[in-house]
Amino acid sequence: MAMMPARVKYRKHQRGRIRGNATRGNSVSFGDFGLQALEGGWLKARTIEAGRMAATHFLHREGRVYIRVFPDKSVSGKPLETRMGKGKGEPAYWAAVVKPGMILFEVGGVDESVARLALSRVAHKVPFRCRFVKRRHEVG
Amino acid sequence: MKVETVKAEKRDVIGTRAVRRLRQSGQIPGVIYGHGLPAANVSLERHAVEALLAHGTHVVNLEMAGGNQSCLLKDVQFDHLGATPVHVDLARVDLEERVQVKVPLELKGHARGLGEGGALVQNLIDIEIECRAVDIPDAIRVNISDLGVNSALHVRDVALPEGITARQDPETIVVACREVTQPVAAPAVAAPTETATEPEVIAKGKVEKEEGED
Repeated sequence: MAMMPARVKYRKHQRGRIRGNATRGNSVSFGDFGLQALEGGWLKARTIEAGRMAATHFLHREGRVYIRVFPDKSVSGKPLETRMGKGKGEPAYWAAVVKPGMILFEVGGVDESVARLALSRVAHKVPFRCRFVKRRHEVG
Repeated sequence: MKVETVKAEKRDVIGTRAVRRLRQSGQIPGVIYGHGLPAANVSLERHAVEALLAHGTHVVNLEMAGGNQSCLLKDVQFDHLGATPVHVDLARVDLEERVQVKVPLELKGHARGLGEGGALVQNLIDIEIECRAVDIPDAIRVNISDLGVNSALHVRDVALPEGITARQDPETIVVACREVTQPVAAPAVAAPTETATEPEVIAKGKVEKEEGED
C-alpha cells in the first residue's frame, strides 16, 4: 500500500512553491547506488510504491532497496462535474516534495550493473529527469 | 601513498559574485590553513581538483609563487548534485606528522554466508584512521571470506598495517551478512480506495488562543 503519514496535525495543505536545490538528502547514504532527481516536483505516494515494486521485483529479493523520500504533503482535489467554490476539495493523494539533487531511491548489496538496471526501471516511473549516482567516499 | 602536485594561485577576490566568476573561468576557490599561520585564499584548476578526487589523493604538493607547500585535502564542497566541486579546504601538513584521515574500505573475498542465503550489508565504506601523512594508504582491505549468515565484522576486526590506528569506535559494524527473510504473504482483503484510509488528525480546525497570549 502507498505510504502516508500515520498522524497529521491538519488534513489539508497549501500548495507551496519549490524553491532552490536540495541541501540535504542529496547524497547516497545507505546503499551503494542511488537515483538522484535532477528536477523538482511532487512525487506521488503511488509512484514511490510503483518504483519500490519495480526495483524489488527486478532484484529478486537480492540486495536491498531504500526509499529516501516520504510523501508527507496532502494534495486535495475536487470531484468531477463540481462547480467552483464551496471550499477546498478533499485530500486526493499524498506526495513528497522533491527538490533538484534529492536522492529518491537507493540500492545496496548488488553489483553496479544490476543496480543500474533496477534503478532505470524506477526512473521510468518518476515524473522528472533522474540520474544514477554512486556512493562517494568522504574526503579528509 | 601518492603525493600529487597541483598548481595554485594566491586569490585576492572573495565573495559570492567574484568567486562565481572564478568558477566560470575554470578555477575552484580554496583556502589553506593550519600550523599556526594565517589562512590564505587560493584558487586551483578545476580539472586538477577533479583528478585529485578521482585518484583518491589525500596529500597534495601545492606549487605556489612563494614556494611549494604540502597540504592535506581536508574537505571538498560540491554543488547540489554532488557532481562539481565548488570549494576546497586544504590544511598545511608536515609529511612526518600524524594526521587523522578517512580512507575507503575495500571488501575482499566472497562471504561464506552469501551461499547460505545471506545478503551483505556494508555499513561503513570509509574508516577513520590515524597515521603519518606519508603513510596514508589508498584503501584498507578487509577479508570477508569467513563471514557467515547473521554475523558481522567490526572495526576491531579490521587488520590495519603497522603504524596505523583506527580512530573509530571498535564496536562499529563494518559489514554484516544478514539472512534474507521471505516476505510473508498478506491476507487477502479488498483493496482500499486511496481516500478511504486517512491519517489520524491530531488537531482538527483552528486551535483557540489561550487568554493572555498575544
